[in-house]
Amino acid sequence: MALTLQPLKPWLAVLGERRGRLLIGALLMLLTLLSALGLLTLSGWFITATAVTAALGAGAYLDVFTPGSGIRFFAVSRTLSRYLERLYNHDTVLRLLADLRGRVFRGLVTLDAATLGRARSSEWLNRLTADIDTLDNLYLRLLAPPLAALIAILGFAGFAMAFLPAAGVLLLAVLVPLWLVLTLGCACWGWQASYRRVDREERLRVRTIEQIDGLAELRAYGATGRHQALWQAEECELLADQRRLGWRTAAANALQTLGVQLAMLAVLLIGLFSFAAGDISGPVMVMMALGTLAVSEALGNLPMAFTKLGATVRAAQRLNAQMTLRTSLQGEPLTGGGQAPGLDYRDINVRLGGRNLYRYLSLSIHPGERVGIIGPSGCGKSTLADLAVRAFDPDEGCVSFAGRDLVGVDPASLRARIGYLTQRSELFHDTLAANLRIGDPQATDADLWRALERVELKTWADSLPSGLDTWLGEQGRQVSGGQARRIALARILLRNSPLVILDEPVSGLDSATAARIKAMLDVWLAGRTVLMLAHARNAMPACDRIGRLSPGEEGAHWVEE
Amino acid sequence: MSADRRARNPSRAWLAAQALPSRPWYRAAVACGLVAGLATLVQMGLLAWVIDRIVIAGAGLGGVSLAVAGIATAIIIRAAGQWGQEVCGQRCGLAVKRQVRERLLKHLHQLGPVRLASRQGAGVANQLVDQVEALEGYHARFRPQMILAALLPVLYLGVVLWLDWLAGIWLLIAAPLIPLFMALIGMGAQRLNEAQFQAVARLAGHFLDRVRGITTLQLFGLGERSVAEVSEVAHDYRRRSMKTLRVAFLSSAVLEFFAAVSVAVVAIYIGFGLLGYIDYGPAGSLTLFSGLFILLLAPEFFQPLRTLSQHYHDRASALGAAEGLMALLAEPVPEDDRSRTPDSLPGSLACRLTGVEFAHAGRERLLGPLSLDVLDGEVVALVGPSGCGKSSLLQLIAGFVSPTGGSLAARREPAVAWLDQRPLIIHGTLAENLRLVAPEADDGSLRQALEQAGLGAWLARAPAGLATPLGERGVGLSGGEGQRLALARVFLSPGTLVLLDEPTAALDSVTEREVIAGLECLAASGRTLIVATHHPAIMAMADRIFSLEAGQLRPVARAEVREVGEALS
Repeated sequence: MALTLQPLKPWLAVLGERRGRLLIGALLMLLTLLSALGLLTLSGWFITATAVTAALGAGAYLDVFTPGSGIRFFAVSRTLSRYLERLYNHDTVLRLLADLRGRVFRGLVTLDAATLGRARSSEWLNRLTADIDTLDNLYLRLLAPPLAALIAILGFAGFAMAFLPAAGVLLLAVLVPLWLVLTLGCACWGWQASYRRVDREERLRVRTIEQIDGLAELRAYGATGRHQALWQAEECELLADQRRLGWRTAAANALQTLGVQLAMLAVLLIGLFSFAAGDISGPVMVMMALGTLAVSEALGNLPMAFTKLGATVRAAQRLNAQMTLRTSLQGEPLTGGGQAPGLDYRDINVRLGGRNLYRYLSLSIHPGERVGIIGPSGCGKSTLADLAVRAFDPDEGCVSFAGRDLVGVDPASLRARIGYLTQRSELFHDTLAANLRIGDPQATDADLWRALERVELKTWADSLPSGLDTWLGEQGRQVSGGQARRIALARILLRNSPLVILDEPVSGLDSATAARIKAMLDVWLAGRTVLMLAHARNAMPACDRIGRLSPGEEGAHWVEE
Repeated sequence: MSADRRARNPSRAWLAAQALPSRPWYRAAVACGLVAGLATLVQMGLLAWVIDRIVIAGAGLGGVSLAVAGIATAIIIRAAGQWGQEVCGQRCGLAVKRQVRERLLKHLHQLGPVRLASRQGAGVANQLVDQVEALEGYHARFRPQMILAALLPVLYLGVVLWLDWLAGIWLLIAAPLIPLFMALIGMGAQRLNEAQFQAVARLAGHFLDRVRGITTLQLFGLGERSVAEVSEVAHDYRRRSMKTLRVAFLSSAVLEFFAAVSVAVVAIYIGFGLLGYIDYGPAGSLTLFSGLFILLLAPEFFQPLRTLSQHYHDRASALGAAEGLMALLAEPVPEDDRSRTPDSLPGSLACRLTGVEFAHAGRERLLGPLSLDVLDGEVVALVGPSGCGKSSLLQLIAGFVSPTGGSLAARREPAVAWLDQRPLIIHGTLAENLRLVAPEADDGSLRQALEQAGLGAWLARAPAGLATPLGERGVGLSGGEGQRLALARVFLSPGTLVLLDEPTAALDSVTEREVIAGLECLAASGRTLIVATHHPAIMAMADRIFSLEAGQLRPVARAEVREVGEALS
């Protein structure tokens, strides 16, 4: 975990696509800084100049209106540019968020179920969003502010140099190294503690979950205290890291104050010498000293952002690991089709956690045939369906679709020919219509209503105030398990594919509804090749052939009934 | 802060109460902030004086060297004060977090395994880790700054008034606006926070929803379309939240505006005053010293408020977190009756139930009155449909819950061995997982226990042996292996009373057989087993079988076992 910025590279490229916006945002930031500089510089000059003029007595003249309006101008421009900068950069960050989410999602959506399944816990999902959020702030915290600060420093030093070269050189000599310390120095200084932080938090979370979910066991064995010691050790390390990081950030902030204020003092002293020598006027001397003070506005937020660089890089690393995953399932697209295909499993075996799921299972489903498979849960029924859609390939044997070995078939083109009702009715937080159109994006409202009627949800949907536009899920209307099942089924009807796979088609339905849905399916399935999976014979429509998948010592085997 | 305002915002009162034990750090942070503020005042005063001496009075450098040294000292003190404020504030924040976590954990333990059963460990972990984390900023930064934002501007204003009351008036025009500023920042920041929080939460919700459903999207060939949709929705939220932000950012812009305009007005006033264009009030007696000093103090007058507004989001997130944490802490804890003297237990008994009754809070009686004596070394099987109270009976014997009536004594010392369907696998090595119940056990006993639990072959295959990492990032254990690991713990445990809640319910037939073999071995070792089960083989092992019907224990004859087993399956 040595300091490296390599992991940020692909994300900087994403940011680079909005170069124009980033530039404008940074310019607005710079404008805000320059206004603050201008306000303080001009005020200092003005006051000293008026005092000097007054001291010279009557007859001395000073144009008060130009600097006066300058001061007013800077006062307004500072406020305005700050407001615009915040607004504009916020908009940019939200745009970047959209870009980043799209990019990560594009990476995920091409992965196969096996690769995806390895990391799909809800914690992983939450971490994924948190990591993306860390990166969308990259520009606003780590790129634009240091850039604007550096330009402001160089600009002000150049300005001072025009009046008094020594002061300009001094400003460069103090402020540029200070800028380096507050950016790169802080990055190094906070690296370890911030890099570890997310993982430490994760470990504390894991310990907490252990303690909550395993409390019965811990309590019975009297081991609660022992486990709590483990928990406390994690917390201690987390807090120690945070304390270290806080201490260092505070020190860097203090260093910033010290650096800028002492630079001001030094500029003042140089100014005093030159003033004594008659090289510059009093007002100019004050102007340079006061302007130096305004530089602290540019440097103020750098330490906080840069001590946390480690955490940002860590987030990028985790996302990169995700983005480099590639699916191993490639192949040629299927051509033709439309007529009912055959589906063949030959001598297949799938190994799951060291045991064989099947004992060299073979099963042939002829075009237009309807085959049912029954068996207890966990015996491998759903895996047969997953193999048919090429969610993954079998460890041994082969599966073929319309005579073509699936190894070598593009999964997307295969799935376009299959309607697979999975065991879980997966509904999205979206409208009823959008959920149905997953089955057929081109479906008209009339098609949707027809499908709803078939699954006996028409009356229910009719009764909804917003009808097809009713929002489903967490922020919308809750649907029962049975309704969800039928919405998922309606999707399959809309899909209208030549091969249909139904995994527990009527689960969650009461027996009367289940009977009617089975009768409807019986008619609808005619002419299609069908694979049906259920725990019992009466949980699916009538079949041409029914077999039982029986778990056995060396994997499940197939018994025709 | 008046009492009724406190009452109106319980989250704030709760947050303040959490800081009580770490009050010294809080006070130190405020004190350091005040020192930094005073040092700033001294620095600016000396600065103005030095410039005045040199430019107007024409003094040489020698005449001001002491003052220059004073400025340098003030700068150092100022930086040190600033550092101290941050560090002490953070210590306060860390102390609060530590202590709130400790309280939460204690509360969760008091709630006990039965009440926690309905909770997701991940959800609780989120509260304990992330929500508590949100308390730090409030205590570390916001609270000390709140005091400073009230005190320091008054201090600076006092000095300005003393120097030139008319310039003070210019600032004072802004001063009555300070409460207004506060409210504006408050409302603005709050709205900003709420709007942002909502937008971000909904957006994250949409994204998570689509990621969760990725398999379905793939099945329907909608991958490409969804990528576009994910970006489109994000852009849609952006457009909507920008509308809110345009207004919300205005409030801080107003503060900035007042600060900038006040500085400008003061600067122009002083300039005109020095030139003698203003005849009114004290303007005539302005000097470069007083003018410059006032000018330097004007931005400092607003600085504490600006800093406070930067920390405002700390407050909002702490208040949000406090609500959730308070709800968790408010959950009533069952009465602890460990203070009650344990009922005496004759030497030959492992547990004795006398007229025991049990009901979940606010519900009908689930169990009892029932009486049962279990002898040392006996194997007792409990059968009955799910929901009949088998688990509750085991929980009563384990002491997780107290009976609502009757008396219960069980040999719980030094430990009770417990095994249910969700074995605890901690993040750590295999050995650490086992030593959780027997910290003194040597490697030999660990191996023996694994052997007895049917994991001998597994251990032989594992290259790292007892040091094999388990848990989240380690080797995944199958359901059966996890269950046998829990069984190995039972073998290691010094407890002789073993409570088993459906130990084979989640297993396939092969593993099931292995676990049952382990249980037989356990029974043969002379331990007392009370096991809730549906499995005929386990029933066959039992010395006595009871069916739990309507809260009563009915002895089941051995001949009945086959029948019961079939009826239940």
